[in-house]
Amino acid sequence: MTDTAQRNSTARKWPEGGVTRVPAWIYSDPDIFAREMEVFHYGKTWNFVGLDCEVAEPGSFKRSWVGERAVIVTRDLDGEIHVVENRCAHRGALLCWKNRGQAREITCPYHHWSYNLKGDLMGLPFLRGAQGKGGMPRDFDKSKNGLTRLRVARRGGTIWASYSDEVPPLEEYLGPEILMRLDRLVSRRPLRLLGYSRQIVKSNWKLYWENSRDPYHATLMHPFLSTFGILRTDGDYHSVPLKEGRHEYTYSQYDPELKNRSTEASKQIKSIRSDLEIKDKEVVTSVVDEFRDGMMGAFQVFPTVLVQQYFNCLVVRHVIPKGPGAHELSWTYFGYEGDDETINRLRLKQSNLVGPAGFVSLEDSEVLALMQPVVESCPESVQVLEMGGHGTEAQDTMMTETLIRAFYDFYRREMGL
Amino acid sequence: MTDWVRVADESDIPEGEPFAAEANGEAIALYRYEGQIYAIGDICSHEHVRLSDGWLDGDRIECPLHQSCFEIRTGRVIEGGPAYLDVPCYDVKIEDGAVHVRRKG
Repeated sequence: MTDTAQRNSTARKWPEGGVTRVPAWIYSDPDIFAREMEVFHYGKTWNFVGLDCEVAEPGSFKRSWVGERAVIVTRDLDGEIHVVENRCAHRGALLCWKNRGQAREITCPYHHWSYNLKGDLMGLPFLRGAQGKGGMPRDFDKSKNGLTRLRVARRGGTIWASYSDEVPPLEEYLGPEILMRLDRLVSRRPLRLLGYSRQIVKSNWKLYWENSRDPYHATLMHPFLSTFGILRTDGDYHSVPLKEGRHEYTYSQYDPELKNRSTEASKQIKSIRSDLEIKDKEVVTSVVDEFRDGMMGAFQVFPTVLVQQYFNCLVVRHVIPKGPGAHELSWTYFGYEGDDETINRLRLKQSNLVGPAGFVSLEDSEVLALMQPVVESCPESVQVLEMGGHGTEAQDTMMTETLIRAFYDFYRREMGL
Repeated sequence: MTDWVRVADESDIPEGEPFAAEANGEAIALYRYEGQIYAIGDICSHEHVRLSDGWLDGDRIECPLHQSCFEIRTGRVIEGGPAYLDVPCYDVKIEDGAVHVRRKG
């Protein structure tokens, strides 16, 4: 067998054990990665690209990503939102180098081809040559040389893009459970941008995707959670896979008394230390129950985002693949127009829980970055996913890997593995 | 610019071709169109380039860079290119075979 044939993903065979086993080669094989991009990110999916408050004014833009492809989200002079590839239609140069800004047009730095915010080619230098020489052929049609446009969908303050003409409408793609949870966070009031953090994680994007489907690790690897009583194994917790494993949500009911209770489960977790105290208790104890449901949770919309509410910190984690061995995590923090100073301060303070150096999230990117060389060095090794049984059903516990199994059930079907 | 400035001899200005000139340090272009001489600002309102290096098509000049078009009789921008602002327009008078211009307004 040649090297190419060996690497050919169709030659890959999923190990015995179905969704309770995951082969390590899915995290490093370049052919698998290329196929994931085609099937998922450039296929029949809706990709999160940004919030409408990031392009609030007509004539504004922001850069984003769909899979590995750079895109630009624009709001044209009529207020309509567009998503176009950040790639000049001429020679493929990167058009827009600024993360956000105001503009009436986008001009390529290479040959100064100029586009409006809808992506139409407005003009190009020396169309008719110079001194009667050169120039474009007479039949060159500017209207056929605009930027590549993606389909756009909006829900509340969120913006989504797709390369597919066949993907169902966004509402149908999300399904009623995700829609309800998304609307709860982004559709009731106009959004207000609070800020960003961004990081490169040197691991395959799926390791991160699984990580946020893995409540089992949360109280173990993140001592902050158990130490300060935010999440406990004895709390009310739900792990719910959706849409054949594509999406999922987890949530818990916030219990301010939990920290003071000691139960069998809490005694089992070594990391709970009673001698540690947090100096600024507002980070974990001051909560405005702004949705009046006492709920705290997160949900994933395949293949790009985890939307999360930690007390009053609201954040979108955008997972942007960068080849098989890396991904970018782009965290966008938001609140609402009309937020008062008190809740604004709480949102900012509680944003310390997440992000690249978050009290809680810090460990995730670190453990995954150290895991990547391990999975790369042993591509034929197999991982075990039996916590919570062998199934893919919803469970009301944190002690389960049902969400990861449900994801691989979906993944194998779509990838033909 | 409120005073008349002499910018060219009338015989300099051909039909069907822009004539680049300067008036008080401002780049202008003169056009002869249907027997009449017109003067408008010669720097494109989109990017800094002389319109007179572009393509004259009847009563409109097309920018060499991005094909924004302007009416040579009024300086008015024509929708379709990236430029959205007019270029200045000048009054023109001929005296003793010399062309004089004055900024309108």
